[in-house]
Amino acid sequence: MNRITIQSKDKAAFYQQMVEQHSSPLLILDCDQLVDQFNLLTRALPGVELYYAIKALPHPAAIQTLDALGAGFDIATTGEIELLREQGSRARHTIHTHPIKRDKDIRDALRFGCTTFVIDNIWELEKFVDYRHRVGLLLRISFPNPNTPIDLSRKFGCREDEAPLLIQKAQSLGLHIKGLSFHAGSQCADSSNHVHAINQCAKIIDHVYKDSGKLLSVLDIGGGFPVEYIQKTMDIETFCAPINLALQQLPEHIQVIAEPGRYLSAPAMKAVSRVMGKAKRGDSCWYYLDDGIYGSYSGQLFDHTTYPLTIFSDINAKEKAVLAGPTCDSIDVIAEDISMPPLSIGDIVVGHQMGAYTSATSTHFNLFDKAKIVAINQSIKSKENVIQLNK
Amino acid sequence: MKTYAETLYDAYGQVFAVDKIYFENKTDHQHLIIFENAKFGRVMALDGIIQTTEADEFIYHEMLTHVPLMAHGNVKRVLIIGGGDGGMLREVCKHASVEHITQVEIDHQVVDMCKEFLPNHSAGAYSDPRVNIVIDDGANFVRECAEQFDVIISDSTDPIGPGDVLFTSDFYENCKKCLSENGILVTQNGVAYMQLDEVTTTAKRLQSFFKDTSFYSAAVPTYVGGIMTFAWASNNPALRTLTNEVIAQRFAELSIKTRYYNPAIHVASFALPQYILDALAAQD
Repeated sequence: MNRITIQSKDKAAFYQQMVEQHSSPLLILDCDQLVDQFNLLTRALPGVELYYAIKALPHPAAIQTLDALGAGFDIATTGEIELLREQGSRARHTIHTHPIKRDKDIRDALRFGCTTFVIDNIWELEKFVDYRHRVGLLLRISFPNPNTPIDLSRKFGCREDEAPLLIQKAQSLGLHIKGLSFHAGSQCADSSNHVHAINQCAKIIDHVYKDSGKLLSVLDIGGGFPVEYIQKTMDIETFCAPINLALQQLPEHIQVIAEPGRYLSAPAMKAVSRVMGKAKRGDSCWYYLDDGIYGSYSGQLFDHTTYPLTIFSDINAKEKAVLAGPTCDSIDVIAEDISMPPLSIGDIVVGHQMGAYTSATSTHFNLFDKAKIVAINQSIKSKENVIQLNK
Repeated sequence: MKTYAETLYDAYGQVFAVDKIYFENKTDHQHLIIFENAKFGRVMALDGIIQTTEADEFIYHEMLTHVPLMAHGNVKRVLIIGGGDGGMLREVCKHASVEHITQVEIDHQVVDMCKEFLPNHSAGAYSDPRVNIVIDDGANFVRECAEQFDVIISDSTDPIGPGDVLFTSDFYENCKKCLSENGILVTQNGVAYMQLDEVTTTAKRLQSFFKDTSFYSAAVPTYVGGIMTFAWASNNPALRTLTNEVIAQRFAELSIKTRYYNPAIHVASFALPQYILDALAAQD
């Protein structure tokens, strides 16, 4: 796929109408798309319970839509808990997955009604001694992945060989470790690391039971399910097939859960910005958009992602161009060395696949307002879906 | 069909059918709900934990009130910490000897809301002329209080959340300061089988301020997991070991109707199961 798609000007009508109504910069969240993604992943991972990682897109409409579909939620902070509380989500369907917590974080989650927590070391384990009668813990294990742009195994997760000792230690403290969790990476090229991790976890589950009689009952396979940005990616069925195969070796009583964030939310949101100024510098035409790296395109830095873009023009001639963000910082450039038809001030630029780790990591630098999120198709399709699921 | 699942424990819990929601508040960083259940009447839950129900509240309120008041024998002044639903107040008001009751509630809205949605709990007790309602943090009130009381009843929420200051050494020490010579402090102390730590921690803290500390118990159906313990602390050990005859005589003189409490229950409630005695002995 090309980075920039050029469409005829009339194709901009919908976006034009949206910015006239809501101004720009704008993020359009299509709840139908969330429903579709949820259904695709549910189909690709039969029997796996999905907990939406709300950090990817912590937005009320996303929460409501997924809640109506029966999704659980993966939370990491008190702020995320408050968002869930406001949406009236069910606390029983949440897992607190931050491996490092303050006492207040634990208490806030318990008060919300979340009783599942993740730990990966002895100091974290000891924090739960006071709450040991109330909680069930997942032990996070690290499986380094060379094939991901975002390796989640460096900052969190214990080594495989530490797991049995930590489980033993938990038992001696009166704490219940009910299962294992891992993160194979984010936006994984293939599922080989998931498969490796599942294989290793199966061995640990088996060893722990044989050595100590301790029954582990949950395996959290994390996220990492890829969506297509610029590079071609595996379709979700192909990606998940080896995972499903690997899961078959687990004892029947193991409940498998996953924490998709990106896969559910990324395709559901588009960024709409307008050209607020232009300049000819050297042989390139610079276009200054009202959204950029410090805003919705923050994922280009933090999430190592490049987003497909669409511009609208009926001119055939192309010239060298740079698309820059609005702030005073020179790092704030979305795309350069591109070739495209000339744009006018006020023209629209659309970014695709912009639902995950975009507005979530945007800043207020220069005190520019963050892009407003407008949710469309809210609850219509999700209601139909619930009816279908209930049949 | 709507249900309400308690989220007190990860591995175990109770679920209620919800016939009608009377009140729900998800703001102020907490979740408060009052709903109708066919078996338990009106049920109030805070942050996923059942606080009180119309059907079984009498067990809890009678035991936290009549046990210390009967044991003392001549209670004139009572302090209630918490107890915004008014159930404790209702029971204390039944004692003719009581001349003054101070109730300290952290949030006036709780009192107003309970008067409206759980009217059977207070049953009019809030308009008793002996009652003085103070809106303050209970821990703060006893710290600054210069008055003395014959009985202090701590009717707190669980030790996670707003009630946690009512389980501290400071709170117990300040309560002691506010008690008259034969005064008794009783506190809600959780379901021992599920959270044995609450018993041992409280015992340890109370022992450093009071000559006589112990627990008594009652099973309250919606405080799930077995018997609930109530902490008992005073400087007069004799008050805890009164005979059935003495209690029976006082109870007859009081001439009130109770549904759980009676003299035999009073005396027997101080008998603790071996696992609690063992846990208490283990930390000595």
